[in-house]
Amino acid sequence: MRFLSEKLPGVAVLGIPLLWISVFMLLPYAIIATYSFWTKQYPTFSPDFQFGNYLTLFTDPQYSKVLIRTLKVSLLVSLFSFLLGYPFAYFLAFRCKSQALRTWLYMAVIAPLWVSYLLRAYVWKTILGTEGVLNSFLMSIGILSEPSDMFLYNQFAMVVTLTYIFIPFMVMPIYTALEKIPRNLVEASADLGLRPIPTFLRITLPLSIPGVAAGFTMTFCLTFGDFVAPFLVGGPDGNLVANVIVTQFGTALNWPMGSALSILVLVIVLTVLSLSGRVERHYSPKEV
Amino acid sequence: MASIIELDRLSKHYSSSIVAVDNVTFAVEDGEFVTLLGPSGCGKSTLLRMIGGFEDPTDGAIWLAGKNVTWDPPHRRDVNMVFQDYALFPHMTVGENIGYGLKLKKLNRTEIGTSVQGALSLVGLEDKIDQHPYQLSGGQRQRIALARAIVRRPKVLLLDEPLSALDAKLRGQMQLELKHLHEKVGISFIMVTHDQTEALVMSDRVVVMDSGRVAQEGSPNLLYDNPNSPYVANFIGTTNFLDAQIARVDGDRTRISVAGVEIEAVGETHRRAGDAITVGFRPEKVRILKDGETGDNEIPGEIAEVVYYGLGLRLSVAVQGGGRVYVDSLLPDRLADSQVPPVGHPVRMALSSGNIFLFDEGVA
Amino acid sequence: MKIRMIASYTMALSVAAAPALAEGTLNVLTWEGYADSSFLDQFVEESGCEVNATYVGSNDDFAPKLMGGGGVYDLITPSIDTTALMIDLDLVEPLDPSMIEGWDGIYPKFLALDGIQRDGEYYGMPYSWGAIAFMYLDKAFDEPPTSLDALWSEENSGKISLWDDKSSIYVAARRNGDMNIYNLSDEQIAAARESLIEQKPLVRKYWSTAGELVDLYKAGEVIISNTWAGYQSSLLAAEGIEVTEFIPEEGAEGWMDSWMVVKNTPNRECAYKFLNMQLSEQGQCGVANVNGYSAANAEAARSCMTDEQFEALHQDDPEYLDSLLIWAPLGDRFEAYLNAWNSVKAQ
Repeated sequence: MRFLSEKLPGVAVLGIPLLWISVFMLLPYAIIATYSFWTKQYPTFSPDFQFGNYLTLFTDPQYSKVLIRTLKVSLLVSLFSFLLGYPFAYFLAFRCKSQALRTWLYMAVIAPLWVSYLLRAYVWKTILGTEGVLNSFLMSIGILSEPSDMFLYNQFAMVVTLTYIFIPFMVMPIYTALEKIPRNLVEASADLGLRPIPTFLRITLPLSIPGVAAGFTMTFCLTFGDFVAPFLVGGPDGNLVANVIVTQFGTALNWPMGSALSILVLVIVLTVLSLSGRVERHYSPKEV
Repeated sequence: MASIIELDRLSKHYSSSIVAVDNVTFAVEDGEFVTLLGPSGCGKSTLLRMIGGFEDPTDGAIWLAGKNVTWDPPHRRDVNMVFQDYALFPHMTVGENIGYGLKLKKLNRTEIGTSVQGALSLVGLEDKIDQHPYQLSGGQRQRIALARAIVRRPKVLLLDEPLSALDAKLRGQMQLELKHLHEKVGISFIMVTHDQTEALVMSDRVVVMDSGRVAQEGSPNLLYDNPNSPYVANFIGTTNFLDAQIARVDGDRTRISVAGVEIEAVGETHRRAGDAITVGFRPEKVRILKDGETGDNEIPGEIAEVVYYGLGLRLSVAVQGGGRVYVDSLLPDRLADSQVPPVGHPVRMALSSGNIFLFDEGVA
Repeated sequence: MKIRMIASYTMALSVAAAPALAEGTLNVLTWEGYADSSFLDQFVEESGCEVNATYVGSNDDFAPKLMGGGGVYDLITPSIDTTALMIDLDLVEPLDPSMIEGWDGIYPKFLALDGIQRDGEYYGMPYSWGAIAFMYLDKAFDEPPTSLDALWSEENSGKISLWDDKSSIYVAARRNGDMNIYNLSDEQIAAARESLIEQKPLVRKYWSTAGELVDLYKAGEVIISNTWAGYQSSLLAAEGIEVTEFIPEEGAEGWMDSWMVVKNTPNRECAYKFLNMQLSEQGQCGVANVNGYSAANAEAARSCMTDEQFEALHQDDPEYLDSLLIWAPLGDRFEAYLNAWNSVKAQ
């Protein structure tokens, strides 16, 4: 009895999370993995063990095309989030002297996260549309003589929208990483004769790499799994891998194919995670 | 010797009411070890950071080797700083840290390697070249920070509380090491500290600062034996203070009435009979008279407390005429326990005239 | 408050005590408008059966939702290309037409369809129908388009929209002259796929929902597309945007939605009450008024519609109905169609 009462909390502490992970993560993955070896057979699909679905993924160009497109869009979103997010985070962490302004600006980046994803994506439709805000603006300042349809319903619009939506996930870890860099390291570099830009390249940037890696991973993985932006602002060539998965599980009633694709996506995402984990560990400042 | 650094009426105002550094002028000779000493908030760190180029002065000028560098950014100044917590680059090895500032000096790889090796051997850490800062102890990091700054052969080395992060024992050892290093490399050091022992042990000259101003500057000796204010007297070493009045001035002798007795100090004075003053004297300059013994400037009192601190005894004595003073005495072997005066025992203290400081103002 | 709590408590007790009354709430999985309060409220009041409606966005939603876990829904309304799948998946049960008043008023053409009858039993109750017509923005065309070529025309580049559905294969096949659109060979499907890839640079966006197409016209992004006849055009008319529907030379598909009863429903009594209501004037004119769709029970339609509406909805126009290529189940060919369409989107 005594043994039990002493051991029980320990069992609960370890057991509940384990149970949680098993039931809500491992089990679903196991089910998906099992399905991925089944065979599509009208009207649904039947249990089997074959690699045909995976083979199709690599031989049918429609899958590789969508995968490469998704990879491209994800990389672009991560890249633009980085290019826009880094200077912003840098300004917040290093240049913004006023605490109030810093809090305000940080909130301005974070606050949209509390607004519905759909709403935020929708906003870009009204901005980028043929009769949208951007066109009106470009026409009013005389850059365009008639509205252009080049801004909406294409991959550009998807990258813009997803960058806007996911940029907080880039800014937050970079800001945190920059914040952790002792200010006197920058001073020490200047003291040792380096100008601000070389100092940035050799001290600040390398020390913020863990934040950049985390931001890159998050924006990349979030984009990789997105299926709403293609639907809302993507054009005829906007299908991403998540849309194909949705189609396979829905319209096509081809759960085996959808599962195989999901497993492939999982593998890609896990690869990215482990790579970025490695980068993060390599660049993380050890305790000093 | 020529001045390597001259500060000319340097001021730093954060706002009209917050003044960090107020009209400071002093010079540092080539090869000199100068310490800026003062409590936190006295402006010493700001002063050092202005020399380093990390803060802009609001007024005044800084001359480095005859050149006005007041507005030069840090990377253009031929000075280097050892930061309080060393500021070693965590993502670089010891060798990379030390070589960091050499890349710009148009040295080739071999020359850099040689310089780095030289700097490392100067601080005795040749074997740590490929380690990262996190693998080093506090004292080792301190030495690497020194090596990194010295390897650039700056005209002046700035040290911002360089030993404050170390434990007491290591600190004592590093004080001497720093002093020897200074002797070896022969460049000027300007160090900031709030620790008077550190200042006295290491420096050729100490600049005592108070609220952004220079309170007094001079050799450790001079400051200890001739403090110009109760502030300096109190900050460097321990000083007893008693309220007093000038009784009579007689050439270079001044008669003073204090605690109901009259004592005599030597030295020229501008004061006149009747002026209220403060007298000060060091606890270790006081002698407790044995029964029947007589001495100069006797002041009677009564033992209030006895504290043993290993090296000797510190007696707290309640002065008969009011006030309380400390008396330090080394504990000679022959002094038996029975000879330690018990609490409540009346004593007479003797003080030689040359060891009495006279101050116009009281103790802040 | 307290009284109310006691009341609901006694109600719960009585429900438990009398199983006949437990048959109280119908869960229907259907299209928006098919359980509209304009005609549903009266039914709820008269029959004592509550109705919870869940809406689908596409025919593809029925199977996954019913397969995902049984026992939730009692009634569904798949289109005629999907009804056979429901039967094949064993998700629905045969109907008893003798229990449905007005069954004889349904177009015989519909009752004879494959997806409705199987082995001499009826599985679906035809409800409403229409065309997958085409639609253009009036002000954008001096010369009204009459052919599918308008959707492949350089002149309309960047202003064309097509339904994101396997239906686009049907459209492309017809343009290629293949009129056996529900029975295309692999070569014909490949040709349709090529046509769609050729068309792709001209397409602004493939539309997925009715609201999305309306938005595309409203925002000036699109001037010509296919459409669910009667529905989006009336939504646009309400916004003051003038569009015209047309059936191109190459013909149009027709669709027809049927009510089906989910296998082993515990609410069969209410389900039949509901089917009776939907096939009566109440349901038939209800859906015609709400969605602008034609009614499957022509007799009921005749007595509840105005003459103009009756004519506009082609309720007594066998020629029109015959001209439509009514959707047919594709069976195991479905995969080939869908795969072709997916590969177009992947380009």
